[in-house]
Amino acid sequence: MQEAKTQANQKAPGEKDDSFFEGIGFKCGLEVHQRLLTQEKLFCGCSAGQEPDSELYTIERYQRAVAGELGSLDRAALFEELKKKKFVYHLFDRKTCLVDIDEEPPREMNAVALSIAISVASALNMHILDELEPMRKEVVDGSNPTAFQRTTVVGIDGFLDVGRSRIDIPMLSLEEESSGIRASTDSEISYDTDRVGIPLVEIDTGPTIKSPREAKAVALYIGTLLRLTMRVQRGIGTIRQDVNVSVRGGARIEIKGLQDLDNMDKFVENEVSRQLALIEISKELVRRKAAVDEDIMDVSGIFKSTKAKILSQSPGSAIIAVGLRGFKGMLGKEVNPGRRLGTEISDYAKMGGVKGLIHGDENLAGYGISDSEIAELERRLSISEKDSFMLIAARHETAYKSMAVAVERARQAIKGIPEETRAAINDGKFQTKFIRPLPGGARMYPETDARPVRITGKILEAAKASAPSVEREMQGLESELESRELARQLLMSPRLSVYKAVTAETKADKEFVANFLIQKLTELRRSGVNIDSVSEGQIADIFALYASHGLTKNGVEEVFKLFASGKTGTASELAEKNGLKRISGERLKRLVAEAYAGSKRSESELIKEIMSRYRLVVDGQEVRDAISEHSKSLHRGAS
Amino acid sequence: MRFTALLPEAMQMYSEKIRDLLEREGIDTGDTVEFEKGKIKITGKLMPNTEANGEDILVIKLANGYNVGVSFSGSRLKLVKKGESNFDFPKAATAQDPRLPKVSLIYTGGTIGSKIDYKTGGVYMLLKPEELLYEIPELSKIARISVTKLFSMSSEDMSYKEWQAIAERVASEINSGARGVVVTIGTDTMHYASAALSFMLQDLNAPVVLTGSQRSSDRGSSDAFMNIICAATIAATSDIAEVGICMHDSSSDSRCSFIRGTKARKMHTSRRDAFRAINDKPIAYVDANGNISYNNDYKRVIPDQRKAVSAVTGYSGKVAIVKAYPDADPSILKFYEGKDYDGIIIEGTGLGHVPVAPSSKEMSWLPWIKSAVDKGVIVGITSQCIYGRVNRSVYRNLRLISSAGAVYCEDMTAETAYVKLSWLLKNYGKEKAREMLPNNLRGEITSRTRFETFMV
Repeated sequence: MQEAKTQANQKAPGEKDDSFFEGIGFKCGLEVHQRLLTQEKLFCGCSAGQEPDSELYTIERYQRAVAGELGSLDRAALFEELKKKKFVYHLFDRKTCLVDIDEEPPREMNAVALSIAISVASALNMHILDELEPMRKEVVDGSNPTAFQRTTVVGIDGFLDVGRSRIDIPMLSLEEESSGIRASTDSEISYDTDRVGIPLVEIDTGPTIKSPREAKAVALYIGTLLRLTMRVQRGIGTIRQDVNVSVRGGARIEIKGLQDLDNMDKFVENEVSRQLALIEISKELVRRKAAVDEDIMDVSGIFKSTKAKILSQSPGSAIIAVGLRGFKGMLGKEVNPGRRLGTEISDYAKMGGVKGLIHGDENLAGYGISDSEIAELERRLSISEKDSFMLIAARHETAYKSMAVAVERARQAIKGIPEETRAAINDGKFQTKFIRPLPGGARMYPETDARPVRITGKILEAAKASAPSVEREMQGLESELESRELARQLLMSPRLSVYKAVTAETKADKEFVANFLIQKLTELRRSGVNIDSVSEGQIADIFALYASHGLTKNGVEEVFKLFASGKTGTASELAEKNGLKRISGERLKRLVAEAYAGSKRSESELIKEIMSRYRLVVDGQEVRDAISEHSKSLHRGAS
Repeated sequence: MRFTALLPEAMQMYSEKIRDLLEREGIDTGDTVEFEKGKIKITGKLMPNTEANGEDILVIKLANGYNVGVSFSGSRLKLVKKGESNFDFPKAATAQDPRLPKVSLIYTGGTIGSKIDYKTGGVYMLLKPEELLYEIPELSKIARISVTKLFSMSSEDMSYKEWQAIAERVASEINSGARGVVVTIGTDTMHYASAALSFMLQDLNAPVVLTGSQRSSDRGSSDAFMNIICAATIAATSDIAEVGICMHDSSSDSRCSFIRGTKARKMHTSRRDAFRAINDKPIAYVDANGNISYNNDYKRVIPDQRKAVSAVTGYSGKVAIVKAYPDADPSILKFYEGKDYDGIIIEGTGLGHVPVAPSSKEMSWLPWIKSAVDKGVIVGITSQCIYGRVNRSVYRNLRLISSAGAVYCEDMTAETAYVKLSWLLKNYGKEKAREMLPNNLRGEITSRTRFETFMV
C-alpha cells in the first residue's frame, strides 16, 4: 500500500502545493455513495438487480415542501417547490411495486444490505450504533416518489488512514437510491422507478482533506475498500462522489455529478478559484458600498416597439428591472474561465422559470436593444456610471419569481458566497453550476413507517468478520505480481474482481492478465474502444481461451475489440470466425517447414516474415523455438 | 393501512432509570444534551422515545438532522442547552378574500392532519386556518375557509355518536351560511360515515364533502393536499346537494372523484385511489385547478330553498353485520338475537345466498333466520361479491331465504345497508324500517344496474 499512501502527497509539476491550500483555509470533505449488491431493494421485495426490465405504466405526481421534524421548512425544499413541476414516474415489471411509488408502507429493512453496511463501517473503524433510527430526508426534486429518501445512520466516529493523513469518517448511513431521471422540461420531469429503493451506503468524510489531490486519493481509497467487499454493484452510476469544498471567507459548496474520479481534483481546484474570485468581488462591492434596489420596476413600456427579439412582448408578459448600485463592471467579472458573476446570478434566476437574465455589463446592442432604449431604462432606474442593473422578460408571474431569486443572489454577492449544491458541467472544462441552496438539517424527519433496528452482538460479529481490508488485499496482490505499481493500480481498479475471477478460474499468466486489465484497457479506451461494453463474463471467456492455448496475447486484444464493437458469440466462436485461433504445435511446425522450403533466408529473417504474416495467431516464442528446432533438424539432415 | 406517526407519549417509553436521570439533570426531550460513553461523545437534541424504541435507548438528533439510538447503560448524559419552542406559522398570507364563497372545514382526525410534535409529544394537527392556508395556500383562492376541530380520532375508533355530532355540526354550519362543508376524517371507515351523514342530513341543499388521506400530510407526496383542494372546490363551486367522498381517482395526482356517500367503499388498504364507486359512477371528477366535470345524475342545489337542513340523527346501536361463508355457524344469529339486536345485515355469497341445505343439517341458516325474523329482528341480505345486485328468486334457495322473511337489499353495499338499517330503526320504527330498507332514499339503491359501474 506504500505507493497508494504516498501518492496523495506527490505532486505533478505546475500544481499548487499543499501549503497553498493551507494558506487559503481550504476545507474539503467527501460523500461517497455506493450501491450495494442485494437481491431485493432496501424496503421492499422488488428486484435490486442490474438486469433490464420492461416498463409497464406511468403515473403523474406533484410534490410540495413540508415542515421537518422540528417544524421549520427546509430552504432547499422550499426552493425546489418554487418550481412546481409535474413529475412523471415510469413503473417497471420486476422492479417497481407499490412501496416504490408511495402507495404502500415499507417492509422490514433488508438484512443483507444492513450487514454489508455494518461490515463497511467496521472497516472504517466506526462506532456502530446500538439502535438504528430510520429517517426521511426530504427531497422534493421528484427523484423519489415519496418526496423523501429513507436513510439510517449505521456508524459514527470512524477514521481512515490514507497516506500520512488520518481522515475522519464521522458518519456512514444506509440509504435508498433515488429514481433515475429520464427527461426534463421546464414544466415536467420524468423518472424511472426501477432504480429507486436500491440500497446504498453513504460514507461521509470530515472536512479535513488538505488538497484537491488528496480528495481524489481518499475517494479512490474508499472506492477500493467498497469493491473489496465484493458485495457492491459495479458499473456506470453505481458509485457517486459528492465533494464539499470551502475556503476561508467562502462557503460550503457541495459538488454533485462528478462522473469520474480522474478529474475530481480539477473540479475542486476550479471551485477554489471560483470562491476566491467571489471573495474579491465581495470585497470590492463592500468597498463601493454597493446595494441592490428594493423595488422591482416594470419597464415594459420602454420596450413597446423594440427590435430586440429577446424582449418581444405578448399578453401576460412583463419586462422588469432592478438597479444594482455600485455594481458597474462586477457582473462581468470572471469567476471561472468563461463564467461570470452575471452567469451565477442568471443560474439562480433560471430556477424561477426564466431562460436567463440580461444585465448591464453585457453588450446590450448585441441583443438588438437600441441606445435610446438603454438610455430610457437607465433614466428610469436612475443608473449612474457606477451602477448596473438586471433585466428579465417573461410571463408576469415567472418574471417576478425569477427576479426575486436573482435579487437575493445579487445581495449575497455583496456579503460573500452563498452555500450551494452545484452540479458538475461535464463539458471538459471541469466547472460547476448552481442547482439549489445547500439543504440543512431541517429536512430530516423520523420514518414512522419503519421500525428502529436493534443491532445485536450476533449481527455485529457476522458483519465484522466480513469487513474488507485494503492492506490485506494489497499484500495478496504483491505476492502474485512482480510490479508493485501494477498491484497498486489493480487494487484501485474496478477491474480487480475480473482479475480475481480470471486468475482463480484459469491458469492464465497473472502478470499478463493484470497488465492487460490495467494498461492495455486504458490504452484501448484512449484509442476510442468502448471497453465498458465488454462484460466480465466475456473477459473471463477470452482469458479461458487464452489459457488453453486457443489465443495468442495479441489475439486476446483482438477478440476483446470484437466484443467491444458489439459482436456476439463465445470468444472461441469469434476467434474462429475472424481467423484469430492460435496456430501452435504441429500446425505451427508445418507452417515453419513451408516457409523454410527453398528459402535461403536467415533464421531471424524468417522469424520476422512469419511474425509479420501471422502476428495475431502465433506466439513469438513458439515461432522462434519452432524455427530453431527446424533449422537444427535441417542441419542434422545435412550432416 | 394508515400512515400515521407512532405517537410518542413523551417520556413514558423510557425506563425508570432513564426517567430518574433526566429528572435529576433537569433534562427534557427537545433539550440539547451531551452523551458520553467510552470514547464516544455525541451532542444533539434529545428526542422522545416511541413504543418502537428499546427501553434503554436514548434517541439523539445530530446537528445534521439524523437521529441515532444509543444504549444508555454505562453512559453519562449532560444538559448543554434547554430546547426552544416550536416553529410558529407565519401569519402572512392568511388574508381571506371576502368575495369568495364561505366553506366550513370540520376536522375530525385521521391521517390527513397527523404530524409528530416532539415538544409536546403529541400529534400536531391542522387546526387554525392560517396553518391550513400556510400548508395549502391554494385554498385561499377557492374559498373563505373557517376551520372547526370537532375531535381528533382515528376513524376505526369512531362510533355513530361521532357521526351524529358531525351531522349536527354540518347542519349548523350550512344553516349559518356556509355554501358547502368539507369534513376531514380518517379513511378506514369514511364510507360508513358518508352513508350515515347521507341519511342523517334531511333536506340537504349544499355539497357536503368528506375527504382524508392515505398518506399523512407530513410527507411531500401526501395525497392530502390535492384531496383537500378538490374537496374545497366541490364545496365552494358545485351545485351538488349531496354527501359524498372526494379522494384521488387514480394513483396519479391528476384528479379526484366525488363519489355518492351511500355508494362509496374503501377498496384498497393503502393506495391513494382506494375509494371506488360501487354499482354507481362517481358523481363528478374534479382537479386541483378548479375544473369539475359532472359524470352522473345527482340532486342539485335549489337556489331559493327556504327550508333549513336538519340533522335527523337517531341511530340504533343494535344492528350487526354477519358474513356467510362455507361452514359458517348460523347460531351467530342466535347470539345477536339473544343480545336484543334489532337488525342483522348478512353478507351472503353470490346473489345473496346462505347455506340452506348443507350435508350437515344443523349448519343450515334457514331456521335461524326464520327464528330471528319471528322475534322481530330485521334481517337484510347483501352480497360479499361487493359488486352487483342481490336477487331473491333466481334459485330455490334464495326464495326460501326470502320466504323466511329476510329483506333483499338490492345493489346496496353491506356497509351502507348496515348504516341505513340502524338509522331507519331508530327514526321510523321496525315496521317502516323493514319496508324502507329495500327502497331508495339517498341514492343508495339504483333502479337499474349500469354496465359501466363495475370495477371503476
